[in-house]
Amino acid sequence: MNRVIYFVLCICVILGFCKACLKADIQEVSDIKNHKIQQNLYPTYPIEKNVTIDNVDYLQSQAPIGKFGGTFVASTIGEGPKTFNPFNSKDNISSTMSEIMYDGLVSTNPVTGETIPKLAKSFEVNDCEYTIHLRKGIKWSDGKPITADDVIFTWDKIIFGGYGNTSTRDSVIIDGELPSVNKIDDYTVKFITPKPFAPFLRMLSSPIAPKHIFESAINRGKEYFDGYLSTNTKPEEFVTSGAFKIKEYVPAQRVVFERNPNYYIINKENKQLPYLDKLVYLIVGDINNQVLKFEGGELDEISLQGANVARFKEMEKHSNFTVYNIGPDTGTMYISMNMNNRKDEKGKYYVSPIKQMWFQDKNFRQAVDFAIDRENMVFNIANGLAEPLFTPETLNSIFLNTNLKPYKKDLNKSKELLKKSGFYWDKQGKLFDKNNNRVEFDLYTNAGNTEREAIGVMVKQDLEDLGMKVNFKPIEFNSLVNKLMATLDWDMVIMGFTGSPLEPNGGKNVWMSDGTLHIFNQRLEKDLNSERYDFEKRLDYLYTQGALAVKFADRKKYYDEYQEIVYNEKPLIYIYSPIRIIALRNKFKNIYPTSLGGVTHNIEEIFIEE
Amino acid sequence: MQILIYILKRILQTIPLLIIVSLISFFIIRLSPVDPLAELKLNPSVSKETLQAETQRLGLDKPIIIQYGKWAKSFIKGDLGVTSSGEKVSTKLKERIPNTLLLTVIVIFLSWIVGIPLGIAAAVNWKSPFDRLLTVLTSIGMAIPSFFFAVLLLIFAVKTGWFPVGGLTSSNFMEMNFGQKIFDITHHLILPVTVLFTLSLAGLQRQMRGNLLDVLDSDYVKFARAKGLSEFSVVFKHALRNAVNPLITLLGFEFAGLLSGAALTEYVFQYPGLGRLILEAVLKSDINLVMASLMMGAVMLIIGNLIADILLILTDPRIREGA
Repeated sequence: MNRVIYFVLCICVILGFCKACLKADIQEVSDIKNHKIQQNLYPTYPIEKNVTIDNVDYLQSQAPIGKFGGTFVASTIGEGPKTFNPFNSKDNISSTMSEIMYDGLVSTNPVTGETIPKLAKSFEVNDCEYTIHLRKGIKWSDGKPITADDVIFTWDKIIFGGYGNTSTRDSVIIDGELPSVNKIDDYTVKFITPKPFAPFLRMLSSPIAPKHIFESAINRGKEYFDGYLSTNTKPEEFVTSGAFKIKEYVPAQRVVFERNPNYYIINKENKQLPYLDKLVYLIVGDINNQVLKFEGGELDEISLQGANVARFKEMEKHSNFTVYNIGPDTGTMYISMNMNNRKDEKGKYYVSPIKQMWFQDKNFRQAVDFAIDRENMVFNIANGLAEPLFTPETLNSIFLNTNLKPYKKDLNKSKELLKKSGFYWDKQGKLFDKNNNRVEFDLYTNAGNTEREAIGVMVKQDLEDLGMKVNFKPIEFNSLVNKLMATLDWDMVIMGFTGSPLEPNGGKNVWMSDGTLHIFNQRLEKDLNSERYDFEKRLDYLYTQGALAVKFADRKKYYDEYQEIVYNEKPLIYIYSPIRIIALRNKFKNIYPTSLGGVTHNIEEIFIEE
Repeated sequence: MQILIYILKRILQTIPLLIIVSLISFFIIRLSPVDPLAELKLNPSVSKETLQAETQRLGLDKPIIIQYGKWAKSFIKGDLGVTSSGEKVSTKLKERIPNTLLLTVIVIFLSWIVGIPLGIAAAVNWKSPFDRLLTVLTSIGMAIPSFFFAVLLLIFAVKTGWFPVGGLTSSNFMEMNFGQKIFDITHHLILPVTVLFTLSLAGLQRQMRGNLLDVLDSDYVKFARAKGLSEFSVVFKHALRNAVNPLITLLGFEFAGLLSGAALTEYVFQYPGLGRLILEAVLKSDINLVMASLMMGAVMLIIGNLIADILLILTDPRIREGA
């Protein structure tokens, strides 16, 4: 008898648990619906203006006047910076750290994306000539003046000389020639590119180095320079032009910056910014720890993802922070099919000729595209925190072609397209091509990336609605890269890129037919001269012309067409672009979130008011 | 003299061992499909030239056997090479070793100071309520996975705000005076030490209790009792000496774990020790760093065992005779 009672009790408890779970789950979903955060209209950022006081050309902040003092604690995920030398950084964290310390000649208007002067007072562009006027009387953090010599030294010696990370140098080589840089007078510099090259202007945002500090390092050769201003360098040795200057670096714990007393941005009362005394970056190992640190009050700012967003939105009401939605991110997620039609060294096709028939068929690619339910993925995988994407340019790109309209999943259209190419279905609904081959292929992504794995499962389901047989195989990241880059024996893949919202030319490695990341039709060294598809030829042309044109309107035409081609030809089927959500403590004022700049783009103007 | 020869012999034996360890580790790392440049390759803004330069700099364009030869040559010279981001491996390790040692030494010290007496007390008061209570507590200590326990404590720290959420020092550490600095470090250390201490205390206490119980049951202890010796001298003079041998072996392993034993806890608490460094190195296939840490682990294990063996020779006449 007792046993029966125990048994019933146990069942009750288990059922109770199940019920609790069920209820919690349902609530979760409705929460997301209720809290789908709209991209609010935040106050417009007042752009800084040039003013001259006592023969010094300052940049004057137009934001409200704040109080001096206080600390801002941000964080980075990973092992922390590898170097503080702005010319050596190869990873995001190191670049972030050096961007805080070293300003470039120009920067980006965080609202419109235009290029605006920063360390330069003004600039003029005339086809191939870029005349830069520097600010008179502004100083490095050690009190030495910033002059044309520093600019010439940085560009001519460090960048064109190939010191450190040569990616800037590589990307300004135009037809095998480097631009030239000349000093006109102490505060004027002229760059001349061998051909008109529009992306060059934005490259002038590269940091400028203090000649009197860097010169001795340059003289000691490239090898020495690779280790110069590393993370072991004493903070006193840094001389910076940016708002902050490093004060302390504790490995695996934090980087502390202090204000640069000689900074050239002033507030409306003509006092030198930044307001904050200290800027701290905590180095945290993973996202979970970052969230805990924010909740524990050790962090002032955090970028949120997935389920945390709904939770933080709920907490926001009775906490001291605000959750900002700053719109689509630069990240993209896409599906690609292997359109390779070449043979390897042994004379074997990389992609079997049967599959080639499918993947090289525009109708097939479009059918796949129409079968994919982007909205469902946005809702279920990204917790509603993403926007469906149809173009290679991300949604916050200033070059986005807005004529390319989004559409919904349409299986009938897919079937029509497949029929057009001779595909047919048997009685069980299995798809066959016109040569009676069953449509079956592998879908890869990198294992461990839960988001891509979830997309893979949904893509598989969507395509199986069309009668295709999809073998979904998440594999280890490095093996996947090896497949995509070297062995080329893959059918379909889900990957992501990070684009630039400002400069489509950054994607030339993807879209130029001989690019290193021309993923849908990767050409190895031996195949560089092989036959191109028509649309590839057109893309090559558009990309070349887009870089040569200088006016924005002219460039936009070329890049609009490139987006249209990708939209129609579907070499990459874009799925969605995540939305960036950032939580920031309320005590910080002068916050002007923008899609291009994020929340703390004006770090020098941010101040604390309890 | 005999001991010296024995030590020399043991040291000579380690050389082939280290070579084999290094060979196996090197080849396993290099033959695994992890490509240190995979991230770079998938970055649209990285040019072909940069990729080539990186491949050359890391020596990836040469056959594995030559890569190993190069590594071994510099290792013998005492040069651990540079990490994939160009920093010196030795400086990277030097930054982290003191932090890890601080944590592990405190834990080992505490757990031996507390664990041994508790084990003895439990064995002497066998089957008493005190012993049973300790058994329950240590079973819990052994059963909780350190990872899970660490996460629980972190959540505790967040919810109460009594403890900092991971790390070793606060962000204003530089401006503190000496007393505040000590307090700050202690404050940060309490949680990770609690996790590791609970774990190793449980094991040690059980071990000590078990050994002593075995010995207390033996004939010579019965004889000592029959002789009319006080319970104190029976336990501490006769029983304990014989019960301590397995613990000395354990001490050898503890020594080996000094640098690597706390990796998981370090990771959860974001402790700036070796654990985080090496995990990241493995994920990125940063060969020099991984090799350095593996070799360090191997050397520590060998030294730990050597110390344990020597201690055993000194304490146990039976082994001394055998050697």
